[in-house]
Amino acid sequence: MIQDIDFYRPGSLEELLTFLKDHGSNVKIIAGGTDIVPGLRQKASRFSHVKTLADIQHLHELKTIEISDGHLSIGSCATFSQIEANALIRKHFPLLSCAAGLIGSTQIRNRATIAGNVVNNAPCADSVPPLLVYDAIVCVRSHREDYTVPLNELLLKPYQTRLNADEVLTGFRLPVLADGYRGEFYKLGRRRGVSISRISLAVLMQLQGGSIQDFRVASGAITPVSVRLSGIEEYARDRKAGSELFAQLAQQLGNEIIKITGMRWSTPYKLPVVQQMFYQILMKLNDESVTG
Amino acid sequence: MKFSTIKFELNGKPVEIEVPPAMRLLDILRETFKLTGTKEGCGIGECGACTVLLNGQAVASCLLLAGQLEGTKITTIEGLVHDERMNLLQRNFLECGAVQCGFCTPGMLLSAYALLQKDARPTTDDIKNAIAGNLCRCTGYKQIIQAIQKSTESLSDPDQ
Amino acid sequence: MKKEFSTIGKHIIREDGWEKVTGQAKYGDDFNFPNQLFGVPVRVPAVHAKINHIDYSEIISDPDLIAVCNCSDIPGSAKIGPIRKDQPIFCSERVVTSGDVLSLLVGPSREKLLQLREHIRIDYEPLPILSDPSKALEDDAVLIHPEFKTNLIVHYPLRKGDIEKGFQQSDEVIEQTYTTQCIEHAYVEPEVVIAIPMGKHKGIKIIGSIQNPYTARRIVASVLNWPLTKVRIIQAELGGSFGGKDDTMNILAARAAMAALKTGRPVKICYDREDSILESYKRHPYVMHYKVGFSRNGKIRAMKIDILADGGGYASMSPFVTWRSVVQATGPYEIDHVWTDVRAVYTNNPYTGAMRGFGSPQPIFANESLMDEIAIRTNKTPDEVRRINALRQNSITASGQKLTSHDVNLVTVLDRAVEETGFSKKWRSNHTASCGPHTLSTGSEGNGDDASKLILKENDFIASSDLFKKGIGLAVSYRGCSLGAEGVDAAAAYLSVQPDGSAYLVSGLAENGQGLRTTFSMIAAEVLGLSVADIYYLEQDTGVIPDSGPTVASRSTLMGGAAVKEAAEIVRKRLEKVLMDHWNTTGAAEFNFSDHHVYATGPPNQRIRFPELCEMAFQKGISLAALGWYAGPRVDWDEETGQGPAYFTYVYGCQVAEVRVNIGTGEVYVDRIVAVHDPGKVLNLLGAHGQVFGGVTQGAGYGLWEQINSLSGQIQELNFDQYLIPTSNDIGEIVPIFIEGRDKYGPWGAKSLGEPTLELTAAAIANAVRNATGRRFFNLPLNLEEIMLGRKLINKTAMRGSHV
Repeated sequence: MIQDIDFYRPGSLEELLTFLKDHGSNVKIIAGGTDIVPGLRQKASRFSHVKTLADIQHLHELKTIEISDGHLSIGSCATFSQIEANALIRKHFPLLSCAAGLIGSTQIRNRATIAGNVVNNAPCADSVPPLLVYDAIVCVRSHREDYTVPLNELLLKPYQTRLNADEVLTGFRLPVLADGYRGEFYKLGRRRGVSISRISLAVLMQLQGGSIQDFRVASGAITPVSVRLSGIEEYARDRKAGSELFAQLAQQLGNEIIKITGMRWSTPYKLPVVQQMFYQILMKLNDESVTG
Repeated sequence: MKFSTIKFELNGKPVEIEVPPAMRLLDILRETFKLTGTKEGCGIGECGACTVLLNGQAVASCLLLAGQLEGTKITTIEGLVHDERMNLLQRNFLECGAVQCGFCTPGMLLSAYALLQKDARPTTDDIKNAIAGNLCRCTGYKQIIQAIQKSTESLSDPDQ
Repeated sequence: MKKEFSTIGKHIIREDGWEKVTGQAKYGDDFNFPNQLFGVPVRVPAVHAKINHIDYSEIISDPDLIAVCNCSDIPGSAKIGPIRKDQPIFCSERVVTSGDVLSLLVGPSREKLLQLREHIRIDYEPLPILSDPSKALEDDAVLIHPEFKTNLIVHYPLRKGDIEKGFQQSDEVIEQTYTTQCIEHAYVEPEVVIAIPMGKHKGIKIIGSIQNPYTARRIVASVLNWPLTKVRIIQAELGGSFGGKDDTMNILAARAAMAALKTGRPVKICYDREDSILESYKRHPYVMHYKVGFSRNGKIRAMKIDILADGGGYASMSPFVTWRSVVQATGPYEIDHVWTDVRAVYTNNPYTGAMRGFGSPQPIFANESLMDEIAIRTNKTPDEVRRINALRQNSITASGQKLTSHDVNLVTVLDRAVEETGFSKKWRSNHTASCGPHTLSTGSEGNGDDASKLILKENDFIASSDLFKKGIGLAVSYRGCSLGAEGVDAAAAYLSVQPDGSAYLVSGLAENGQGLRTTFSMIAAEVLGLSVADIYYLEQDTGVIPDSGPTVASRSTLMGGAAVKEAAEIVRKRLEKVLMDHWNTTGAAEFNFSDHHVYATGPPNQRIRFPELCEMAFQKGISLAALGWYAGPRVDWDEETGQGPAYFTYVYGCQVAEVRVNIGTGEVYVDRIVAVHDPGKVLNLLGAHGQVFGGVTQGAGYGLWEQINSLSGQIQELNFDQYLIPTSNDIGEIVPIFIEGRDKYGPWGAKSLGEPTLELTAAAIANAVRNATGRRFFNLPLNLEEIMLGRKLINKTAMRGSHV
């Protein structure tokens, strides 16, 4: 039962790293607790080893959001409410602030953290597709070393990452984009309020003179783990934006997804819909850039 | 079972409790402090009946563990009996018919209160978003939204 | 002379409101007693199984376990049920649904009991599972309750006219099958009950989230084999019910009572959401086959209906629920030739019972879908075809009942709704648009493993301006008020006016959150010229007031309200008598009770303060306490032919839904619902609006998302992360409009509203979606997959995210 679980509240990050060195294998790091507490209650197998919860949400050093050296740094414990409201993120990384605002309810956004969303790595984690298209780099610390790793390399499979038991995800670094990008975070749920994504997409497009300079797209909830769809991205570059290309890209998206997932129970619905909505997003982004 | 001593502020007063550190705030409120205005509807943070304020923000008390409370300020519906803004919301909830069975009401009021503390003139969409995490099966939300709207109008009226 | 109302029909604030907004109102789980123990249910992880042995040896000597209660502890009835006694308080040899309970662990800590529960070893043999109701009556079907020798719970035939002749007279015939899904009440408060032993002679007191205290009392007394008087049920503040806190609560009350008597200590059973969804009953899924014959002019000649209801593991309210269906299955239309069969059957699915609507939302979805198809076939608008067939004053219903005693306002509500929404013009223009290119692109639906068919073709891509399609749809209904020929229909109210002019009031019907206390207080206040604040509504207690039947069937205003009015009028008569003596008037004097005064309207033209009059009456030894009793007029039903005056009166409603459908995703946006209802006289306007907003929103959830999937009897949606009810962001504008028809029954002609508001919405939305997309959907709910693929997709393998 959850009441038998021990609780550790480190005074600093250093203290936590030492603690993890000694007890890491039975420790789960907790911040907002919005995935862990329901998971423990429902006896989720991914938490069955947990004997101690190490709370990090009070560590102020993990909450900062700032821009320096052309990079945005987001601390692991930044909540989605903070991210949604943050002016820097709104300006430079609008897809991320949009996704943050669509996660759960106000009560959840006030507690849930960006690192929690990433580490939990649910297929429907809404912050992941925007982070992927923004080329997010993950900052990891342990008693052994500090290192950074591109987000896409961290995500292993649903509900699993490559983080070791003695490692802590301390934050993300996102390079500020050059000018001329437009983008959209798209989320489809079963209802309008507080919904789990059935399909999500993050799309960034940089146009010049009607042709595509840079193109980035990441999937959510339609692949087991959110991924960048590099085949489509490369195909799109240097081609002329327009409905013909967008239809081709959408069809390719359908083909890429089916390659990854095979036929699943939800495929007959999701596959046509994701192509259609991807096309709609691209048309909208193109129209916006034409009208300025 | 291990117990920890935890100090926090509850409804404006400093408190110190000795509880298992993974005990839920919801249970601490209802069992330790007999503050039964905070309700349990789902236990997984989906229904909002257990909403309280943590440092002024609406949170689900079924997802907060005792160990996370150290040094925080928790406010429940009982803590706002003499609060002018809460009283205004309460009156408007009644006048607009926003209460039927009433089980979601304390949590709903706290979500509305947290919104108005942050933004005294929210739009209708802001209001809907602020309470989207508070499920109500009786009212269809219309009279609740109306009551919150009415409270913003009264608040922004300098004569009130 | 028509009297102006001073309280009735006005915006009145809830009598119980302040406690609720301050968190002081006490719901079941807010009660605790010294020495209290908890009870935790023990289940077997199977749906249909034979139980060989339950081994408690690992936990039986644990100090945290005080007692185990099971069927061997039952002194009285081991099985209960409103009609058929087929549901065990504790299962012993067999379980037939996933929610079935074998025993109750009792101890001081609920948490500890939940841990101990993990160490019980149950030896059981799985039995074949019957999950498809359409196979329940096959010869080789597994019998859920072998003692009944069949899985048929009930069969209601209805025969009117000559069905074959009717089809011969028809120019066209449509045949269609419709299905509706199983849904959960989703009251936000899960079930709670506490039983407190009161000592040998005083019996037991039970407090809980109990919708029908008298039913709970009857069940507990029969299980304990005690007289009714020794079981006292007190209703806690109820956190929503919608018909859902009846059977389940009665059983929980009986279990708690047994545990309390066994241990001699108060025992509380409080369910979490998973327990609640797992064990509580649901709304019946229906399979409905309709065949309708009609003339080219749109007049229906014949209707043949075959309905199958999935009753799940226990009969519960199935015989009553399906009876309402057989009465109302044609919809509110005058049809000469009707042939209806409604059957309910046992399966191993969750058992189904009462839920707001009670056997009406399902056939309304079917018959109102059908009406729109008739309109399209006959080149009329949906409102025209309904006007052609509508029940009117003195019409004869399908059960042969002539509608005479009240205003038959079906066409009135229809006309009002059509006018309010500009229906016909919008419907025609959407209909034309839906016949154009780029409607739903479902041609590429995948079959089996052929993924290539799921890749869109060039012309499948939709221009953004075509992505959203608008639709408007309507549905109408009539609804029999109160219980009808289902059962005894009478209610009591007790009013006791005090010497200072204040008054106690209580009725035998229960406050379930709908605002009954307020409405009843308004009725008493209106009769006596008081304000609602002068009325003190006592807590619901079976020891205080006679059994008034269940608080169901939208009957409390009609039946209980009439009883309150009766009680208040008895007291008023007595006060008038006191005044006649006091003022020396003759019998002809008329009195006006208002503003806390009584006025003689003719000579002697005097007035007196109400409290003064009460004090005077008290001093003269006149009783100002009265029991009001209201019994419904006689209704009748022939079981063989389905003919008879089923209900003594009816209400009428029309809802118009305006939607937008995203034809790329299948999302349905409900932009506006205009709900025009004739509930009779509206007593409490604020409360009436609340009923409409709430009922329409529940109805929209039913139409669009809500579904309990039981795969081989196992419920997939056990909490609100999976079972989706509408949030504040989901449903657009709702416009309530009331037409107040006259009726000789009910207080000032007030009838029913709670259920009529819900029963129409899904049907209206489905018709709007048809109007938008040009495609008819036959299976509720109209979720994303249904709209895009015309079928449901079910995840049969994966665990829910949070379980991984």
